Amino acid sequence: MERDDFIVRQDDLILVTGATGFIGSRLVANLMDRGFRNVRCLARPSSKIGRVKALSASASDASRLEVVTGNLLSREDCAAVTRGASVIFHLAAGRGEKSVADAFLNSVVTTRNVMEASLQNRSLRRFVNVSSFTVYTNGNKPKGGLLDETCPVEEHPQGRGDAYCYAKVKQDEIVRQYGSRFGLPYVIVRPGYVYGPGNEGITARVGINTFGIFLHLGGSNTIPFSYVDNCVEAIALAGLKRGVEGEVFNVVDDDLPSSRQFLREYKRNVKRFRSIYLPHAMSYSLSYLWEQYSSWSRGQLPPVFNRRDWQVTWKKTRYSNEKVKASLGWTQKVPTAEGLRRHFEACRNRGRNA
Amino acid sequence: MLKVAIVGCGKIAEAHASQIGRIDGCEIVGVCDREPLMAQQLYERFPIKRHFSDLSEMLSDAKPDVIHICTPPESHYDIATICLRAGVHVYVEKPFTVDEEQARKLVALAIEKGLKITAGHDDQFTHVARRMRMLVQSGFLGNGPVHMESYYCYEIGRSGYAGALLGDKGHWVRRLPGKLLHNIISHGVARIAEFVSSESPQVIACGFVSPSLKKMGETEIIDELRVIICDEESTTAYFTFSSQMRPSLHQFRMYGSENGLILDHDDETLIKLRGARYKSYAEKFVPPLQFAAQYLGNLRGNLAKFLARDFHMKSGMKYLIESFYRSIVEDSPLPISYREILLTAKIMDEIFAQLNVSQLQGEGAETTSARSSLKIKEVHL
Repeated sequence: MERDDFIVRQDDLILVTGATGFIGSRLVANLMDRGFRNVRCLARPSSKIGRVKALSASASDASRLEVVTGNLLSREDCAAVTRGASVIFHLAAGRGEKSVADAFLNSVVTTRNVMEASLQNRSLRRFVNVSSFTVYTNGNKPKGGLLDETCPVEEHPQGRGDAYCYAKVKQDEIVRQYGSRFGLPYVIVRPGYVYGPGNEGITARVGINTFGIFLHLGGSNTIPFSYVDNCVEAIALAGLKRGVEGEVFNVVDDDLPSSRQFLREYKRNVKRFRSIYLPHAMSYSLSYLWEQYSSWSRGQLPPVFNRRDWQVTWKKTRYSNEKVKASLGWTQKVPTAEGLRRHFEACRNRGRNA
Repeated sequence: MLKVAIVGCGKIAEAHASQIGRIDGCEIVGVCDREPLMAQQLYERFPIKRHFSDLSEMLSDAKPDVIHICTPPESHYDIATICLRAGVHVYVEKPFTVDEEQARKLVALAIEKGLKITAGHDDQFTHVARRMRMLVQSGFLGNGPVHMESYYCYEIGRSGYAGALLGDKGHWVRRLPGKLLHNIISHGVARIAEFVSSESPQVIACGFVSPSLKKMGETEIIDELRVIICDEESTTAYFTFSSQMRPSLHQFRMYGSENGLILDHDDETLIKLRGARYKSYAEKFVPPLQFAAQYLGNLRGNLAKFLARDFHMKSGMKYLIESFYRSIVEDSPLPISYREILLTAKIMDEIFAQLNVSQLQGEGAETTSARSSLKIKEVHL
């Protein structure tokens, strides 16, 4: 059904980049469920397109789900894939890259290419850039402070020792530049930790498994979880709702568990393992020592643990989803308890199949 | 102060910028990439004076003494030629060029211009590689080497570089004559080339697409390669590249007339193999003890270097760059001889020629070995 508060009609072309990914494939399904009949999915040549093809097979006759393989590093591919699109959901990004240059190339250069191509496209009404909580700096807030959309973004992402963070900060930066310089009608969505079937495991915000020992680092911290279907709902609304150009939306669920609660439930529902709790003072001190050693040794150990990153990952913080509720009318469709149940079930199945 | 520039600002350029930053007496005056954003990110992350998207502009404005070429291999020859003609010394990342002919032309141009050029065979300058070289030079092997074995393996997966290559039929690596092999094996081949005395050793190559890759639908990326190199019937060598064997070795073994050596690049260990045998049961008990002592010695040495902040992952690259700069400043010999660079290129050319000929001749053949398939043809005729 057409909605007056949406900027596009159901026959308008919607492009989803990164459409075969964990979030992208569910976003495509969400758009189809909303009745959008003209969805173009872009996947990397190396992607497994099975998930999107399955959607294509189940689409009704009236719907057109187009799966295109292309490389966003190619300007020609970008021009071809953005042609005629009214809304672009840009989810493609370099994930899991250890090299900053690779992450930058696959996040920032690709985003620039998509935006450049989009500007030639007069039908574009909205460009949704999917970012991450990782872009925020958390150093200037007291313990237990609130992280919301007004919080500053990391000014020195190179100091975080994380290729993904650097690339995402720069990606947001260039999207804003294209907004102010060329009038690109963008919206930035920054999900917390997106979990659910397809992204099994334990976030580093809870702890890290190193040399066979699980170090529990989160303690009583709230973990900014966003169940994948809830996150997708927010992303979809960010692309469709009228009057939110230039806005940033953080996406987290309600009733967030603490790190300790999550770990306890994980052990109860998925598998038992031994973990050692490292108090915040100790993890902060170790991060400081690692950072100092990295600097003193001129990078013999890379600065993967450092105070800047600690502030973002393990400092006690509160999270808000007020803006996404108020401006986009987002509500949490899958309650946290149900989301965790599905997540643990997927973890168990994965463990069985591994 | 030696003025350094980098062209190509991708992943390997990060390593270059990082290692150059650890060398005294030089500064990075400029970085250049056709993609301005890539040049800018490198500039922002390292102490670099300026960034460019045009090579000529960087050469004229930043006026570097040395340039590091970190672009894809297809462009090495053209960029190095421009830089040499502009009077700049050149460090070319591996593989040096696409073929031996280009390599010969670059070396000739460098000599003509009175400049220096080197190849990024930095694995040959790690701590253990240098120790091995010293032992060989001191005569530890006796006469020889009689035989060498170079393993240079690569774990192929669905993620990262390999994933992108396997999924993208237009990937630049596929345009190289040796495809994946071309981009990876030069480290392992150069180790052999360093110790081969003939200018034209006999090369017999056999390669195939592994069943694992075939299952992924891959038909043209050869990821299993075995090579025999014969040096005028005096020295022989085996080269092995495998994406499937485990452990995924990076080893170089040398056997002389008296003793042998095993270098393990992954563990950073160098083990001496004693040529002489102990009497009776002593042979069963003494060598294991000696090996244990050697491994402990390697551990002690590695720890000592780590504690002394001299055990970086790219220590070989730093040493090679530093040695190259020294050879420029002091006009001393180059760390890698031109002969070795050219012989590496020649052996690689021969390997790829044999594999490509075989692929053309034996469409659909399970194994591609030029010599063996040619022989089979002769029998049939």
